[in-house]
Amino acid sequence: MTAAGIYVHIPFCLTRCGYCDFNAYAGRDELKPSYLDSLSKEADLASPGWDGQGFASVFLGGGTPTTVEPVDLRALLTRLRHRFDLDDDAEITIEANPDTVTEVSLSALLDAGFTRISIGAQSFDTKVLAALERIHEPASVRAAVGAARRAGYRNLSLDLIYGATGETLDSWRRTLDETLALAPDHISAYALTIEPATSLGRKVAAGETPAPDPDLQADMFMLACETLGDAGYRHYEISNWARPGFECVHNLGYWERRPYVGLGAGAHSYRDDVRWWNVRPPETYMEMLGRGQLPIGGSESLEPSDAYLEEVFLKLRILEGVPSSWFETDRYERFVQSGLLTDDLGTLVPTERGMLLLNELVLGLTA
Amino acid sequence: MATDISHIRNFCIVAHIDHGKSTLADRMLELTHTVDERTMRAQYLDRMELERERGITIKAQAVRLFHEGYELNLIDTPGHVDFTYEVSRSLAACEGAILLVDAAQGLEAQTLANFHLARDAGLTIVPALNKIDLPAAEPAKRADELARLLDTDPDRILQVSAKTGEGVPELLKAVIDRVDPPTGEADAPLQALIFDSAFDTYRGVITYIRVKQGTLPSNSRIKMFATHVTSEAEEAGVMAPEATPVDALGPGEVGYLVTGLKDVHQAKVGDTITLDGKHGASEPLPGYREPRPMVWSGLFPAEGGDYSELREALDKLKLSDSALVYEPETSQALGFGFRVGFLGLLHMDIVRERLEREFGLELIATAPNVEFHVFKGDHETIVHNPAEMPPGGDYDRVEEPIVYATIITPAEYLGAIFELCQARRGEMVDMEYLTPERVEVHYVLPLAEIVFDFFDQLKSKTRGFASLDYEPYGFQEAKLVRVDVLLHGEPVDAFSSVVHRDKAYQYGKQMTERLKELIPRQLFDVAVQASIGSKIIARETVKAKRKDVLAKCYGGDITRKRKLLETQKKGKERMRRVGRVDVPQEAFIAALRVDEGAKRK
Repeated sequence: MTAAGIYVHIPFCLTRCGYCDFNAYAGRDELKPSYLDSLSKEADLASPGWDGQGFASVFLGGGTPTTVEPVDLRALLTRLRHRFDLDDDAEITIEANPDTVTEVSLSALLDAGFTRISIGAQSFDTKVLAALERIHEPASVRAAVGAARRAGYRNLSLDLIYGATGETLDSWRRTLDETLALAPDHISAYALTIEPATSLGRKVAAGETPAPDPDLQADMFMLACETLGDAGYRHYEISNWARPGFECVHNLGYWERRPYVGLGAGAHSYRDDVRWWNVRPPETYMEMLGRGQLPIGGSESLEPSDAYLEEVFLKLRILEGVPSSWFETDRYERFVQSGLLTDDLGTLVPTERGMLLLNELVLGLTA
Repeated sequence: MATDISHIRNFCIVAHIDHGKSTLADRMLELTHTVDERTMRAQYLDRMELERERGITIKAQAVRLFHEGYELNLIDTPGHVDFTYEVSRSLAACEGAILLVDAAQGLEAQTLANFHLARDAGLTIVPALNKIDLPAAEPAKRADELARLLDTDPDRILQVSAKTGEGVPELLKAVIDRVDPPTGEADAPLQALIFDSAFDTYRGVITYIRVKQGTLPSNSRIKMFATHVTSEAEEAGVMAPEATPVDALGPGEVGYLVTGLKDVHQAKVGDTITLDGKHGASEPLPGYREPRPMVWSGLFPAEGGDYSELREALDKLKLSDSALVYEPETSQALGFGFRVGFLGLLHMDIVRERLEREFGLELIATAPNVEFHVFKGDHETIVHNPAEMPPGGDYDRVEEPIVYATIITPAEYLGAIFELCQARRGEMVDMEYLTPERVEVHYVLPLAEIVFDFFDQLKSKTRGFASLDYEPYGFQEAKLVRVDVLLHGEPVDAFSSVVHRDKAYQYGKQMTERLKELIPRQLFDVAVQASIGSKIIARETVKAKRKDVLAKCYGGDITRKRKLLETQKKGKERMRRVGRVDVPQEAFIAALRVDEGAKRK
């Protein structure tokens, strides 16, 4: 049977970053205890529906999960193990903000069962960090990575964002070099996307900040491909690189269209072409669970055409690719000829240039 | 009973838009108890919805007022340069004209042009200043200006406030006293001038007429001189102000006639109605002219499948718009549509708006152009579509229409106007100071230059103070070339334009620059070029797109991402293909908008 994943959403943050449009809140720490209670309740209520399903991963995302005390996260993880059939060697990831971790807290989390840590480094250029409205300094990232390694983490990932205002190709090259110097096992590098309902989105709309230059971001992407590839990282998804064997099992589940259960405010779940999601505001989420209800805010059943489209655009993000037999020859051949797709014995996989133009590929293939 | 001819006065009001013509008409309706207070509404006579929104009266109408034993027929005139001929026919139905001028703003070119038409038609002018209640009014100064123009005593100029009604009784009295009664014999052969016609869904073609000679009984067999059409007329009547049937319309009278015709083209403005048979007149009244389109534009449905709906809509519109002409046109870029001829830019806007609003069509319109006469050897070709112009100068000469333009401006903007007209290939005829501050300037200008955002430029260079009027002035040879626009080597017929040789480069540069902004980046570099024949005169490049993917796509992003792709898919389906290049609808619409470039500068 296909292994599933568990996603747990922790919506608390120290501050809100300029680019972030996630379901996250700064300054709502008073909600934490009852939110954690609610997560437990949701696990209790949701788990019977997943009887017989094995789980290969847990991912605590947010928000900033490390704003919650390790002891509480340990209790949460224990609850999940009770309620869901979690593999013994499951990948259990926690996202961390450099300023919210110490060697002591990281040890406690490792001891609680977390096997993988993903640290939001974003950049090693203070100007870029300021443009992203991040509060940490590059030094905090180095400190956090050092602390994690000393605590004993064997699977460590760094998140990077490129293309913010003022970032040059040289600055990005330095960030990549600094990243490599810390020898992470996994690297996620995202082109900055401006979302309207964010601090940066408003600044761009008001003309105070220029929108990211897509051509520069394309150059930065190609530089990342080259630099990280040369350093031995495998480019296994558009925005993700890993040392062989360190690909993120949990995230691969999304792209491989494996089932996942989402717990917490706004979290999405998916199984057998049905997707459903929880209400977004933490208060509503907690109220519904207080009444003993599953906090579901909406759902969709995928029509075969929807499922097909998802299959194409998700699997083209990863090396798995899609079978060429799904398409008329003239649909994909022009992309192969123009170097956007490779046709490897009947499997279509985008090249690095093709990854950047994935929308065009998907639209061209499925039109 | 019919009014004695000596007690009839037929008059119109000549005024600039916003100078208060409709409000004055409202006061007259009230004062003469033609409309009672209960049913009175503002701008009573401006019937059509479109007119109300634009503040312009398009269709002339006649209304009969009774005042102190006199029958006063107020004939409304169109107030726009596109409709000069219609104005002249309305004037021909009158013996007098109130020249109404805003006491704050003074004379405008439009008013002046119509005043000249009225005076040349032999009408008695009754000058009046309106809006004397406004704080900004300068009645003494404006009276001097008007008196000088009319070569009369300032005391003869009436002062009214159409808003409050002040001075309106005196104005009516002046109309009765100063304007001549009509002349005509009741038993002479019938000659009735059509000064407007309209199509009514229930009653067919209704004409508005002035009986010049003879008598028109209500149910008679009529004949149109210009079209040779005969018909059983169903009803004659007067507007008082609602339609009121009468037994007959006698000489000097103004009214309407339900003609029994079904097509407005059979009863044209300016034509003469007489009785069919031996009692009919042998000659029409002078001055009839076929409506002549001055401006042409290609109209295409935004959705290719709406072509037959567009055709039906145009066919319907034509029933009530005798000036509308169109012929099918096929564009490589825009598909099936029509090349439509209009009297002018306003007429074009009105037709487009009606097609969109009344028929629910979404349209793409090409930039308006004029008619060109292309000569090769002894062969002359008339071209209504720039794409039909022989490319690369394969002809002996080309003639374009020119106009005689009247501009009235505060003297301080004279320099700006010289500059503008010079840049638009204008030749000054003369100029005259109306007052020390206001000047009337005459230019001969190519119509093509006026069609191309001239009015907007004039307004912006004179802060809105200058006014413009023009009339056709024949054709004139010009060094014209056809400029084509190519996308990735493929000419886009919808963007072809005929421009003066000296402006070809400027036009090419402007179009290529604009298209560079409007055409979305494709998977390859797209050359945007302008050419004259095979010679490239401007080039821009839309660089190939390199990145379109969203960086992140995790569990909560997938639904949103799928919907985004579906939206993009629909967007792609709506695009037009030019060779290998996908061009969105909006790019065509924006690139073809004439004023766009001007506004950006």
